[in-house]
Amino acid sequence: MELALDSVLDLSGLIQQLQSENGAMRLFLLLFPFFILVELPLILVVLLGVLRWKLRELTLPPKHSLYRPRVSCVITCYSEGLDVQRTLLSLCEQTYPGEIELIPVVDGAAVNQRTLEAVRAFHLDPELYPRRRLRPIAKWKRGGRVSSLNAGLSMSSGTIIMALDGDTSFDNTMVSAVVRHFEDPNVPAVAGCLRVRNTWTSFATTIQAIEYLLSIQMAKIGLSEWNVVNNVSGAFGAFRRSILEQIGGWDTHSAEDLDLTLRIKSYFGRHRRMRIPFEPRAIGHTDAPSTILGLLQQRLRWDGDLLFLYARKHSGSISPELMGWPNFIMTVVGGLFVQVILPFIIVGYTAVSMIVLPWPTLVALAVLVYTLYFLVLLLQFLLMLLLVSERPGQDVRLLPVLPLFPLAMFLIRCWSAVAILNELLRRGHEESGMAPWWVLKSATRF
Amino acid sequence: MQSLKVPRIVWVSLSPAQPTGPKAAAAAYEPIGSLSALLQGPRADVVVLDGSSELLTPALLQLRRHPDYGLSLIFFSGSADRLAEALADGPLPAESSAVIAAWRHWQERLGLFNRGRLPERFDHSLLCWLWLRPAGLIQPVCDPSNSNFYHYPLVEALAGEGSINVNSWLQQKRQENLLEAGDLLDRLRHCTACDSNRLNYVDVCPECHGLDIVRQPSLHCFVCGHVAPQQDFLRGDGLICPNCLSHMRHIGSDYDRPLENYRCRSCNAFFEDAEVDVCCIECGQRQSPDELRVREIRPFRLSETGQLSCRQGLGEDSVASQYFRQLKLMAQPGFLAALDWQIAITRRYGKPRGTSVCSVLGMRFDNLKLVLNELGEPGTIAMLDSLMERLQQVIRETDRCMRGREDVLWILLPETPTAGLHILQERLLTGLESIESSGGQKLQLRIVGCGLPDQLEKNEDAPLLLARLMGELF
Repeated sequence: MELALDSVLDLSGLIQQLQSENGAMRLFLLLFPFFILVELPLILVVLLGVLRWKLRELTLPPKHSLYRPRVSCVITCYSEGLDVQRTLLSLCEQTYPGEIELIPVVDGAAVNQRTLEAVRAFHLDPELYPRRRLRPIAKWKRGGRVSSLNAGLSMSSGTIIMALDGDTSFDNTMVSAVVRHFEDPNVPAVAGCLRVRNTWTSFATTIQAIEYLLSIQMAKIGLSEWNVVNNVSGAFGAFRRSILEQIGGWDTHSAEDLDLTLRIKSYFGRHRRMRIPFEPRAIGHTDAPSTILGLLQQRLRWDGDLLFLYARKHSGSISPELMGWPNFIMTVVGGLFVQVILPFIIVGYTAVSMIVLPWPTLVALAVLVYTLYFLVLLLQFLLMLLLVSERPGQDVRLLPVLPLFPLAMFLIRCWSAVAILNELLRRGHEESGMAPWWVLKSATRF
Repeated sequence: MQSLKVPRIVWVSLSPAQPTGPKAAAAAYEPIGSLSALLQGPRADVVVLDGSSELLTPALLQLRRHPDYGLSLIFFSGSADRLAEALADGPLPAESSAVIAAWRHWQERLGLFNRGRLPERFDHSLLCWLWLRPAGLIQPVCDPSNSNFYHYPLVEALAGEGSINVNSWLQQKRQENLLEAGDLLDRLRHCTACDSNRLNYVDVCPECHGLDIVRQPSLHCFVCGHVAPQQDFLRGDGLICPNCLSHMRHIGSDYDRPLENYRCRSCNAFFEDAEVDVCCIECGQRQSPDELRVREIRPFRLSETGQLSCRQGLGEDSVASQYFRQLKLMAQPGFLAALDWQIAITRRYGKPRGTSVCSVLGMRFDNLKLVLNELGEPGTIAMLDSLMERLQQVIRETDRCMRGREDVLWILLPETPTAGLHILQERLLTGLESIESSGGQKLQLRIVGCGLPDQLEKNEDAPLLLARLMGELF
């Protein structure tokens, strides 16, 4: 048995290397330079932030405020159909005592009759929801997400503007949890927390559910504590109206959410007290792509857009003078390096290892790496369950799938490299499905 | 020779500075600068009013109230509101020949009205107005400033100063079968106490009929099944079940709204559906919607009987009445009493079967309307004259007659057996055959007879017998 295992894993070779002088350290440095240099510090930043947040949550008394500005929810709708009604109902159900203006914007309403009908059929009972107003906009000609958001902005009257997706529904404390941050005049935007609604539809959605819990709900709490939230999600973000008007609303091109976040962050260097908080108690439930193909297509768009924004559109604005040092470092390390360069390093390492190393050694190394990543993941997941999750009973059911998560993330990282190459060589962002070609064609080229 | 007369058609410019109608059309008619000039001058046959709808309506009201123009053909050349449409004869036809033709038709019908007599009373005027316009309607017009919301401007205008209750008058004419109602346009509800239709419908508590009721939504916790009013769940910013203390975050997955009841703030009653009370704004009377008086708003037109009356003469002077009077006509109660008496006599002293002692004969002009339309009045009158002659010949001193409907005649023939009845029927029919008609159309008579007591059903009395025979006549 031992022999058989040896022949597969070549443990003896590894043991020999480890037995030599500084062997363990050499091996570790050889195998995990980027883990030690980049990922571990990032994880530590997040975990420390989460601990700080939790301590604050437990110790500070609950705050009651009379700040109740009018909130306008711009809901971008395209082909969601009846799901839009779920979104609208969940917004009507908000416990926020102030006024909420619901502005569903149906893009390409002439074609998306089902969605338009669903919006029209939604009856807002003024007696049951006295401080909610429904002001639908039918945008007959398709113009893309950005045009929907800007149309909603121009028609809205609230002090706080929320940019929401038509296929995302919200917990009933969402608006009140978000609004209280805006009482601080230094807050231009608040990032909301997204969860996956269709967790158990397929393997792809289950993996994404874990990913959302860790990289959005948990990671953003940590990043928010140090005021380095990477992105205010397009499916769920809240903005102060004045800042949107100052920066001219949303800009054409895909990934308008990251674009807007970077543009707001460009003020951070000059206004040191400005901050974008993340509100973990403001929760939106969204539909994740349920097929592997759908997931790959989504990531091709997302990851390709990252390169477009960091390297092309915002290459000039990523500087410590504009963003302040913490956000500059976080954008360079957490954004540019981890999300744009690291996928290539991972693919390169794997390819070289596969060519250079004998396969038993390769398998042994893979098991080692996988174990380490899994242990770190397990730690993160348990901390998430203990400290962060507001639905721990529901989330603990994801534990059995956790061992497969590092593998899925490895594959997604590899796919990121493809996405970035697609953007680099083919200008993939110009093929985005988020806006029609005639709009993308006329947009400024970067 | 009247048809050769050329009508005097005047074009009245209500606002001479700005003619609204086509100038070419205006040129074809005699121009008059103002309405007062028209009223002071000699009477015109046809009036064309040219002006904006604001000027048109008062001018039309003034003309319809005027004795000379109440019945006249009045067209308008511009746009008109609903009130003006109800008073006028519509927009001016494009061709002047059409106007002249319309006037000739009008003139011809005026000659036929009430056997050539011009209307003197208001109700005759209105019937005449309708008679002169075969498609004419008494149109209701909605007017928010009117306390009844709807009014009949034509009736009001023709009634002039003498104020009448328009609605009662219309209902009376409808009951007299002179007018018939058109399509239902609206339905109004009136207070039972003061007949006002300014009513306020309010939802009230079914227990105490108090006004102060509120919708009280309830929530249903999915975790423990607890159902309670929404405010029991509110804790700070969120919803927490008071029973199991679980957070209720998302509708549909944590909770739903199973019921939406009402609560009365006065008596604290909890109820599913509020009741609706109607409070009259004028007199303050409270009533339920079912108790309200319902009034239907409909246009009115001349009924068939009304048309017949207009042609044959209104009231006691109608053609048929005049002719039928020669036949020893009895009123319905008297005739029925006589018939009942005859039935009683025949039943008590009846002779053996097959020997009737008394007979009843019903006759109906099957195509009187058709004949009138085809031959016109003079021809029909000639035919009726001949028919009456025959009838007078066959009716004996002892016989009695009664008119049922407009075109039905009943004859009670005492001491006439069934055989005699048949002979009488044949005589009548052959007499009718011999009546000469100038056109192709002949008056057709349907006759039904019944010998008493042989053909009498069991327990049949005079009204039942007539009803049965009437069925055979149609």
